[in-house]
Amino acid sequence: MGLTGKISALFIVSIFLISVFSPFLVNKDPDAIDLDSLRMPPSLGHPLGTDNKGRDILTRVIYGGRISISVSVMAALLSMGIGLLVGLSSGYAGGKVDTVFMGVVDLVLSFPSLLLAIGVSVLFPPGIYTVMIALSSVGWASFARLIRGQVLMLKESPYIESARAIGCNNWRIVFVHLLPQCMPLALVMTGLRLGGYILTESALSFLGLGAQPPTATWGSMISANRAYINSAPWMVLSPGIMIAATALCFNLLGDSLRERYGINREGRAG
Amino acid sequence: MGERSSPEIISKVRKEIGADKGVARQYVGYVSLLLRGEMGRSYYTNREVLDDIMTKFPNTLMLALGAMVIAVPPGILFGLIAALKKGRVADRIISAFSISLLSVPVFWSGLLLMLLFGLVLKLLPPSGTGGLRYMLLPAITLSLPALATIARVTRVSVLDVVDMPFIRTARAKGIASSRINAVHILKNALIPVVTVIGLDFASYLNGAVLTETIFGWDGIGRFTMEGIIKRDYPVIMGCIIVGTTLFVLSNLVVDILYYYIDPRVRIHGTDR
Repeated sequence: MGLTGKISALFIVSIFLISVFSPFLVNKDPDAIDLDSLRMPPSLGHPLGTDNKGRDILTRVIYGGRISISVSVMAALLSMGIGLLVGLSSGYAGGKVDTVFMGVVDLVLSFPSLLLAIGVSVLFPPGIYTVMIALSSVGWASFARLIRGQVLMLKESPYIESARAIGCNNWRIVFVHLLPQCMPLALVMTGLRLGGYILTESALSFLGLGAQPPTATWGSMISANRAYINSAPWMVLSPGIMIAATALCFNLLGDSLRERYGINREGRAG
Repeated sequence: MGERSSPEIISKVRKEIGADKGVARQYVGYVSLLLRGEMGRSYYTNREVLDDIMTKFPNTLMLALGAMVIAVPPGILFGLIAALKKGRVADRIISAFSISLLSVPVFWSGLLLMLLFGLVLKLLPPSGTGGLRYMLLPAITLSLPALATIARVTRVSVLDVVDMPFIRTARAKGIASSRINAVHILKNALIPVVTVIGLDFASYLNGAVLTETIFGWDGIGRFTMEGIIKRDYPVIMGCIIVGTTLFVLSNLVVDILYYYIDPRVRIHGTDR
């Protein structure tokens, strides 16, 4: 892994640690309103300034990161889970099951993804679970296609043939013999796509479909404060920098992993 | 119809809009109306959804075209330079630049552009719908991630072509390297690039929801967003149906374009 890959990994690990231990790191309440210090520029007491309701932006950025990152990671893992199930059954069963599942995959992939995610989130009351459902209902399809390809390749290998010869049933072959072989690829692809999940999560929060006020997320902080961009730009700058930096580090890490393991965008070794 | 409407009025309206029939009947009714080009009326403005989409679509189309005009030439150029100078400073700068552009959320870069050019320097109107001056900022915002994607895809695609035997032949024949780069390499590397351009363009035709919302651009994207916020279902359904149809159609156009760009597609096509 190159230097950029290492730095990105370091950044991501620190963001994770800060998110996990945030209650011990900052002593302020992220939602505490202080009407005496509205829209204060950065100072010693408030390193990143305060927002429209006098809340400390640094605290809100840290607590917002908790939600933004955990929602993105959960959604990515959920997509991976659904993708694994569909991909394994589609690839192993073949025939009609394969045709139907891949038809659905093509259908999902033929939608513009942000529009589909927005459409799905409208069906549920806004909140973090809605965002997770929306992100994974769009994201599972590419995983499913990828895993199916992997299973089609593995299915013909001698060890599966031997497993069948010694009388393993289909469930055992799929879950004991095929699934572990698909996991590394699935996990690497999850990591590669996290940058995209972070961006889409922030977009949905920005549009007001995610966690509701007063809870902070990076995206909702930008949309709540954007009216003041001229008079108090710091309120919009810091959450945006965090989204961009986190997404950038995931993308850089992804690129260096891809280069190192020779995986291309579709995940096939090439 | 307010919250305190009497049961009689509620049942009258339910009958009027057909909500008293079963879900299956309602669906059949919706689809048959849809096939006749009838998308219903907005709950709020009571205007025909299709009429509104028709008036807003030219704005969206203009914005999408503007963004592509800004993104495509530099995208291809940067991708080509990065590939030809692979591993050197130029390549590193272009790669870093493009991956950064891909990591910045458009609703944030849009706000920053608005702050810089619209509010601080006061060169361009910060938001609104109108002529070229109004279009410039949202078009630039939209073009940034597209430019980055095009540059990245061009780079990979050119790198694939550079090592092919026919390029070596061309060099051996003594053709000037500028001509090889422009004609032999680029022409063969363009196919994946055309796909990416088509996909980006198609998704912009759906209305760049975020960009249009930020800049107050009166297009399909903002219309969709307003419908979502107000839970104006006929508007949401109409926008998603029109948007998806456009998306699929543009993919079809890209597939047809292959026929003209890539002679191999033509030859394989006649085999069948």
